[in-house]
Amino acid sequence: MAKIHPDQQEMHKVLGGQKQKPDNTMSISRRTFLHKSIISGGVVGAATYGWWPLVNTIDIAHGASNLNFAWVSDTHLYPKTLNTRFVDKAVRAFKEVESMKPDFMIFGGDLAQKGDPEELKLGAQLLKAVTVKKVFIPGEHDWYLDMGALWTKEFGSSPWSFDLKGVHFVGLDTVSRAPDYWSAKNMSPKERMGHMEALDGSVAGPWAGLGQEQLKWLDTDLSGLNKSQPIVIFSHNPLYEYYPPWNFWVRDWREVHEIVRPYSNVTNIHGHTHQVLYNEIGSMRSIGMLATSWPWPYAPEGVPKLTKPHVRVDPGDPFDGVGWAKHRWSQQDRIDHDYMMWDRDVYADATWDSGTGDNPGLALRSRVVDKIWQYE
Amino acid sequence: MLKNKSKIIWIITVTSLFVGVTLFLLTPVSAHKKRHSAADMQAFDDAYMEVVKMGDALFHGGGPQDELGITLSKTGMACAMCHPFASDVHPHQFPKFQEQMSEVAGLREMINWCIEKPNEGVMIGIDSEAMVALEAYIMWSHKGTIIEPGTH
Ligand code: HEC
Ligand SMILES: [Fe+2]
Ligand SMILES: [Fe+2]
Repeated sequence: MAKIHPDQQEMHKVLGGQKQKPDNTMSISRRTFLHKSIISGGVVGAATYGWWPLVNTIDIAHGASNLNFAWVSDTHLYPKTLNTRFVDKAVRAFKEVESMKPDFMIFGGDLAQKGDPEELKLGAQLLKAVTVKKVFIPGEHDWYLDMGALWTKEFGSSPWSFDLKGVHFVGLDTVSRAPDYWSAKNMSPKERMGHMEALDGSVAGPWAGLGQEQLKWLDTDLSGLNKSQPIVIFSHNPLYEYYPPWNFWVRDWREVHEIVRPYSNVTNIHGHTHQVLYNEIGSMRSIGMLATSWPWPYAPEGVPKLTKPHVRVDPGDPFDGVGWAKHRWSQQDRIDHDYMMWDRDVYADATWDSGTGDNPGLALRSRVVDKIWQYE
Repeated sequence: MLKNKSKIIWIITVTSLFVGVTLFLLTPVSAHKKRHSAADMQAFDDAYMEVVKMGDALFHGGGPQDELGITLSKTGMACAMCHPFASDVHPHQFPKFQEQMSEVAGLREMINWCIEKPNEGVMIGIDSEAMVALEAYIMWSHKGTIIEPGTH
């Protein structure tokens, strides 16, 4: 990690100096994070290091009763006529979740690839396979064709929050408040979506964020809680700066951290990055979820120190490097977090296996085609 | 004496050969021997960047695929969706042993492998315009990276 992005430097300056950490009664070691991450609670249980199948599931047991939930996101469905691979993987994830019968399933965004009505409706159809309670937050791919109209109609609006067995769950919308990059250029909805779709595009700018209004909502929503109550915040994007050039962040992370600072037991679970990630910043821990569709390379700057990276992916196997997650909040007030990765061992020990140091010289510059003003 | 005479002839022969070769070299017979103006350099760079741009477009799923008669993907996915900014393409590591092929392979072979496998597309000619463009874009994205052939 030779370079640190200027924004990350700022993050380290703002939050790194503080002694504050997520509640240390909930110890989490890198070792336990291997296959089972203990995200809340007193006792670090004996973790088992077996490999999981292919989904992201989270099991939470809290207080007297156990609580389980599953996370699925980033299915990036295309119309069936174009690509059945992603459909197959979504079907598999939903089937596995259904057989697990969790208390609820969170779908964490990027259901569709191009926000196309055909894709979103296909997704809604496939989601019927899961009969437990379902909650939803949008991804940018679901939003920028019709500005969230169909998504909201099918899956409701966010943010939202609810309490279940002593845990406070929050779902945020980190995608819908992009600064307007389309009007001045008279973009068609398809062009707008096209720029949003490109991870390495420079036209859509720093689109990921909560916005003032939602920040206020979050502040108010948490304000009634006991400071040590377990809080799980779902967001599509990570709530810290992992890698701004790919929008692996929210632009208003400072405000988010300001708001959650008084609470000692905050866990952020996010999608969008399509890879195994773990980080602790200030009072909040963040866990990145697998996509079911395809995995992304780790950022050129490398991974957060606390992340145990996943193993290099075999591009010839569509079921490699992807999956869902399972979380269990146990009696000891801890969360067991399982990555359910299909087809492969999840973690890598050596950098040659993770590939986290593979792109040291990658040029950080905007795409040449983005520099051309195509809209007269 | 005879010895001296042949020595002189030898010297004259060598000298004229040398002068001839030197004159030949100094004559602007090929473009390489001409001094380049700033405008020339700009023209070279423009030509190069045109190819980089085409590679960028192809790598992102667009570009003149129809005109070139090529299909880089049949899944709807473009290279850049898995390789943002051409990350994880590792052009600086080639040639290297490639597990997928059980042999030491070059970058272009691996580009074709990715066209065929994850993309379910149709392999392109190893010296084709599209291949050169993809390579140009990938290399441009890694400008300044230290070459480390054979690393994994
Ligand atoms: C579905 C995702 C996906 C798509 C689409 C894809 N690739 Fe890949 N590609 C990968 C993965 C994963 C690897 C392995 C990366 C590693 O070894 O760390 C890879 C490896 C490569 C490599 C070899 C890198 C090395 O060091 O072994 C090249 C070259 C490459 N891809 C080029 C391309 C090109 C060109 C395209 C478009 C025609 C493309 N890829 C499309 C996922 C993809
Ligand atoms: Fe995604
Ligand atoms: Fe996303």
